[in-house]
Amino acid sequence: MNNTAASPMSTATSSSGRSTGKSVSFAAELQSMMFSLGDARRPLHETVVLVEDVVHTQLINLLQQAAEISQLRGARVISAEDLLFLMRKDKKKLRRLIKYLFIRDYKSKIVKGIDEDDLLEDKLSGSSNTNKRQKFAQDFLNSIDQTGELLAMFEDDEIDEVKQERMERAERQTRIMDSAQYAEFCESRQLSFSKKASKFRDWLDCSSMEIKPNVVAMEILAYLAYETVAQLVDLALLVRQDMVTKAGDPFSHAISATFIQYHNSAESTAACGVEAHSDAIQPCHIREAVRRYGRKIGPLSPFTSAYRRNGMAFLAC
Amino acid sequence: MPSAPSRAPRPLAYWVIPQLPTADPLPMDEETETYLELYLDQCAVQDDFVPPRSPLFSPVVPYVYTPNPSNPETTFNSHLESKETSGNFSSVDLSFLPDELTQENKDQAVIRSKHETEENSETQSQQSRLPLPSGQDVGPGSDSSSLSNSRSHLHPGDANSIQSAPAKPNCNSSPLASITPMTPMTPVSECCGIVPQLQNIVSTVNLACKLDLKKIALHAKNAEYNPKRFAAVIMRIREPRTTALIFSSGKMVCTGAKSEEQSRLAARKYARVVQKLGFPARFLDFKIQNMVGSCDVRFSIRLEGLVLTHQQFSSYEPELFPGLIYRMVKPRIVLLIFVSGKVVLTGAKERSEIYEAFENIYPILKGFRKA
Repeated sequence: MNNTAASPMSTATSSSGRSTGKSVSFAAELQSMMFSLGDARRPLHETVVLVEDVVHTQLINLLQQAAEISQLRGARVISAEDLLFLMRKDKKKLRRLIKYLFIRDYKSKIVKGIDEDDLLEDKLSGSSNTNKRQKFAQDFLNSIDQTGELLAMFEDDEIDEVKQERMERAERQTRIMDSAQYAEFCESRQLSFSKKASKFRDWLDCSSMEIKPNVVAMEILAYLAYETVAQLVDLALLVRQDMVTKAGDPFSHAISATFIQYHNSAESTAACGVEAHSDAIQPCHIREAVRRYGRKIGPLSPFTSAYRRNGMAFLAC
Repeated sequence: MPSAPSRAPRPLAYWVIPQLPTADPLPMDEETETYLELYLDQCAVQDDFVPPRSPLFSPVVPYVYTPNPSNPETTFNSHLESKETSGNFSSVDLSFLPDELTQENKDQAVIRSKHETEENSETQSQQSRLPLPSGQDVGPGSDSSSLSNSRSHLHPGDANSIQSAPAKPNCNSSPLASITPMTPMTPVSECCGIVPQLQNIVSTVNLACKLDLKKIALHAKNAEYNPKRFAAVIMRIREPRTTALIFSSGKMVCTGAKSEEQSRLAARKYARVVQKLGFPARFLDFKIQNMVGSCDVRFSIRLEGLVLTHQQFSSYEPELFPGLIYRMVKPRIVLLIFVSGKVVLTGAKERSEIYEAFENIYPILKGFRKA
């Protein structure tokens, strides 16, 4: 019954219907993005197509849910509040989003102070923009927070493990690059969905929706799309590493994922002379990752399908 | 002008602050004012003096000066800032300001300062100053182009008018003294020879009188005023190239200058414009709010490594902004570090903070040098 998470290819007809008809494709950008997130130098085309499909499906579903919620509210546009509301269950991801909003505000504040033209522009438009995103998020969470957990997030200074792992992976990846490769890597890292806002909107087919997202909501959606891709790459790398069984090592499953990866790649390339292809993430890794992510693990797992309102497990929230 | 009573010439300038009196309004002291006039009478007019636009003296300059703390003028001038509030701007002679109306007076002021330095007991420091203008082209750091430009700016004028070191009357040096450190500061080039260049200075000053923005906008050149959009007059001058926001409360923000003295000079010019329009403008609480500097370390930097090891200070989101944002705690400066090796430093209230921040970050960046 867990239809949605099983295979993204066979999921909701809406996605396949859209994917055949749509002319907008982020395949090229996604290829660079996956490279910057930890995939091989040239990710496989099939993998990229699959990832695009997964992300697209998930975002469409997310948008639909957000639209339902804003309808409940009686609003005319999907705003950031709806998206924040959808994310309320997963505190870590919510915290990452809030941190992202905060960094965005901070960066615009600094860059504005450097360029005098920017400074004037800002003064002219009324300098109420400082920290507006973060304050807004804080106000909203204040309003829906019943138990005080969400607000506690703002003061919380725990290390974000997922982000930490990503940083370590990137650091390791870049250590062995020369400066030309590194320049290319940096350029790939700068790609994001928010830079191509109009293409992103078309890709999601926002114009055909009755309730459209506003600007801030689009920003958050672009961020969530990027997060989804990042999560997919993270999980696929884990899956790939799991698939390689090291005979005779009973604790291989318990060692940190990043460490094992490093170890494996060094060994495999040296010993087996494997072709470059095997470094790239295969579509089977992605499918397995999505399947595992959707599966509920725990004592009640056989009975949990009844709990889910809608079967899709969002990677981003 | 009243002729000065016979008075022993007072040694005024003890330290060599080689720049035009662009700082505070004139001494409140009557004596010193007439003393000035005495000199002005005595001096000949210099025709083609080119006023220096930026401080010749900066911490980067490697020469020693020692202000004489026992000089009564020093103590007098250190109180100048506080006394400013009691002074009346309109009665003060702004002839020191190098704008087109008072060219001759300004030249005389320069000559006067030259005379003062001849009386200066610290001839030594002046002579050490002498080789500097010529040697300045090979000055500290290869990037100090703006500094050497300012020096070359001064050369034509200085060669003629100022034989000894271009010392300025110390009554105008106190604001600079308050800005720059009193101890001689060796240039940053100990480690690398790279000196951050100042790119932008934001300062504020209080003109201390209510202003009629409409009148200002109508009568002043290069002024924009759109009350529906923003409640201030935006005025621009070409020399130093700056922009000012003038509010009806009398407060003013001046941006775009490339050095502290330029910022002050520009703010003074704006104040003069306002004054000439009939408002009793004063010049209170001039304060530098922000300074931005930039430089290039000339090697690629591996930002992923930096963000990992300095997590608590840095944030790097390349999809958001291509540079790493590093928040240094001491001094409290924000640095934007880019892969190409360019570094932008902002948030400083003093020039020394920028230099110090760069000195702190340079060894760290070297550690993450990319090939």
